[in-house]
Amino acid sequence: MALNNAFTRRRILQLAGVGVAGTTLAACAGPGASNGGDGDGNGNGGDGGNGGEEPGSGSLDPSLAAGAISFAHWRGEDNEAFAKIIEQLKETYPDVEVRQDITPSNDYQSNALAQIRQGTVGDLFASFRGAQLTTMIDADLLVDLTDTGIADKYEASLVSEGLVDGKTLALPYQLVFNQPITNEEILEQAGASELPEDWDSYLSLLDSIQGLGITPIAWPGGEMGNAGQLFNCMIMNLGPSDDMCARIEAGDLKVTDDWFLEMLRHYQELIPYFQQNATGTAVEPAQQMFASGDAAMLATGSYHIASTRALGATFPIGMLAPVTAAAGEAKYVGVHNATFALGVSSVSENPDTAFALLDFLSDPAIAGQYGDDTAQFVTVKDVEYTNEDLSHTSDWVQKETLLAPRFQFNNLDIRNAAEGACIEVVGGKSPEQAAEDAQQIIDQQIGN
Amino acid sequence: MAGMTKTKRRARRAYRKERLVLLAFTVPALALYISFFIIPALQSLQYSLTNWNGYSATFDWVGLDNFTRALTNDSLFTNAVTNNLKFWLIVLAFQTLFALMLAVFLFRNFKGSALLRGLFFFPTILSSVSVAYIWKFIYDPNYGLGNDILGIFGISSSFLGNDDTAIYWIAITQVWFHAGQMMTIFIAGLQSVPQEMIEAAAVDGAGRWQVFKNVTWPMIAPATSIVMAYTTIQSFKAFDLILGLAGNPPKSSMDIMSTRIYTTFANSQYGYASAQAILFVIVIVALNFAVRRIVGLTQPKTES
Repeated sequence: MALNNAFTRRRILQLAGVGVAGTTLAACAGPGASNGGDGDGNGNGGDGGNGGEEPGSGSLDPSLAAGAISFAHWRGEDNEAFAKIIEQLKETYPDVEVRQDITPSNDYQSNALAQIRQGTVGDLFASFRGAQLTTMIDADLLVDLTDTGIADKYEASLVSEGLVDGKTLALPYQLVFNQPITNEEILEQAGASELPEDWDSYLSLLDSIQGLGITPIAWPGGEMGNAGQLFNCMIMNLGPSDDMCARIEAGDLKVTDDWFLEMLRHYQELIPYFQQNATGTAVEPAQQMFASGDAAMLATGSYHIASTRALGATFPIGMLAPVTAAAGEAKYVGVHNATFALGVSSVSENPDTAFALLDFLSDPAIAGQYGDDTAQFVTVKDVEYTNEDLSHTSDWVQKETLLAPRFQFNNLDIRNAAEGACIEVVGGKSPEQAAEDAQQIIDQQIGN
Repeated sequence: MAGMTKTKRRARRAYRKERLVLLAFTVPALALYISFFIIPALQSLQYSLTNWNGYSATFDWVGLDNFTRALTNDSLFTNAVTNNLKFWLIVLAFQTLFALMLAVFLFRNFKGSALLRGLFFFPTILSSVSVAYIWKFIYDPNYGLGNDILGIFGISSSFLGNDDTAIYWIAITQVWFHAGQMMTIFIAGLQSVPQEMIEAAAVDGAGRWQVFKNVTWPMIAPATSIVMAYTTIQSFKAFDLILGLAGNPPKSSMDIMSTRIYTTFANSQYGYASAQAILFVIVIVALNFAVRRIVGLTQPKTES
């Protein structure tokens, strides 16, 4: 009957066919073309970056600051400190609204690029030094700040990672020491009048601590991100050059080389000094162990001093890196990292306000306030700290420390393979086997 | 005659209008489905043939290289597939078994049955991140409840710290999380089995096991199929549970296909991650097909 044939199967199939064809065509838009790209048909998806405008081509003027912006970062523990600073900013710029978009650090590592590129968050945003900052720069997501002269407010030696080809693209804001923090009361009880600067005296100190019935080192071996901080110190005096991790990634060096195997053997020597079942311990219990005095050291970094205090630690906190060298042969006594690299997003609709916030954060008084509130050093010049923990550990700023080598890795799978080998050795694998397994992954990654 | 034709035409017009209105109701759902499922799926297929890094303006077509790499030259991917298959097998076996056992005990209405069903169903309503954190503390080797319990038997474990067993401990969490949900599907299946068939079998002298094997089990085959298919999909999508328990990125001992794809995306290898995602879908479809066949084979043959 003609009436029933108005939407016959054939008609529906025809409609579906048209729909599928249209959808297929829509789906065939080239990768990277979502922001106005024009594919050239030869595998080049066109200008997928930021609408074609050269980042930083406009000048930034903080006096024009007004309206709402998003500040994207991963430091949930600094939420209050930043909120206080934002309130102070509003005294200068009453029409400014700043929303903090905070994502846990591991997720930020994975998601920030996509979120910031969409422009929904992060008018001002932070990047991890290393792979993430490199990617943000490659993706043209950072406004050139050179003309603003803001870099002059920072210690030049600490912000070099954000300066590319003579341009100021990002400013690492935090100075972190990626080495174990210590309970100085326990170290004193163990007779450590001076901090050991070679491997034998380090092991001897660990023996003395163990003799007190206390776990020498709480190490979060169950969590790749935090477990890997110890790797920085363990490798700092063993690598054939300071850029050893970059060279592993480039294929110049191998984790099966003697120097890397020596480091793995040092990890093996540390096994009796970690808490039991260390490879299954997450970071929270490790912090608790340290804060409650059950462990003499927490093998993460200075960024955990504030959270340890929040857990109730009242003892004086210091720092001590394991020096894997014979007496008198150590080149470095610790590791530092300049991270939390702040930059203005090139897709921001309100870059002046984003820059106003960055400029405000770069003021020595504000930076000092942030440092005091979060127990973290900053890279801004002429800052004076009143926080006791910072005053107590400020001598580390002058010590011979290496810029954290683990962040030289740009391929996260290669980094995880190298650091994972250390965890596997603590878990019982032989150094040779762990190194061989890791090198296999590295070779595969380099080959692709 | 002319009046009749006019009436017919009017009826036809009214019918067509009604069909159009009915068809319009499907448009919002269809638009969402096309926008958020069909187009991304097709784009994934396209990206999988490129070396696009996820943000740059240029890319190269690489043909099937990404698929070849995943299948032949990426031990991280093959490790994730192996882990996922181990995880799936354990979860499939134990979740189905526990859910069926609970359903058999609880499908009849008795005093307290509703409370017990609610209790076993409760973990399902929690968010996966909450479940992950609860179990993260249980599995802590120094402070956790897990070793307190094992200590009764004089043993201890590093749980997620042991590369050989970590994935099985996560499987236990997954079973705890979802067995109650599967129980409700089995309960619905069991309650639809006609009581007279069971009574007839009993009258014929069948014991409880024989009744279950020859009457109940075949009758709940559709429910079993749903449970096994759903469990399979869940086992491959246990992404948030793994990240919550094992951190991001997880250690290789706890890396499953979904977390591997995520890590590859985060590593700025968008094209390769898309190829992994397509293999992921193929594996799930193949396993679901296999499971349905297996469920079919376990049913007694009908004699003609």
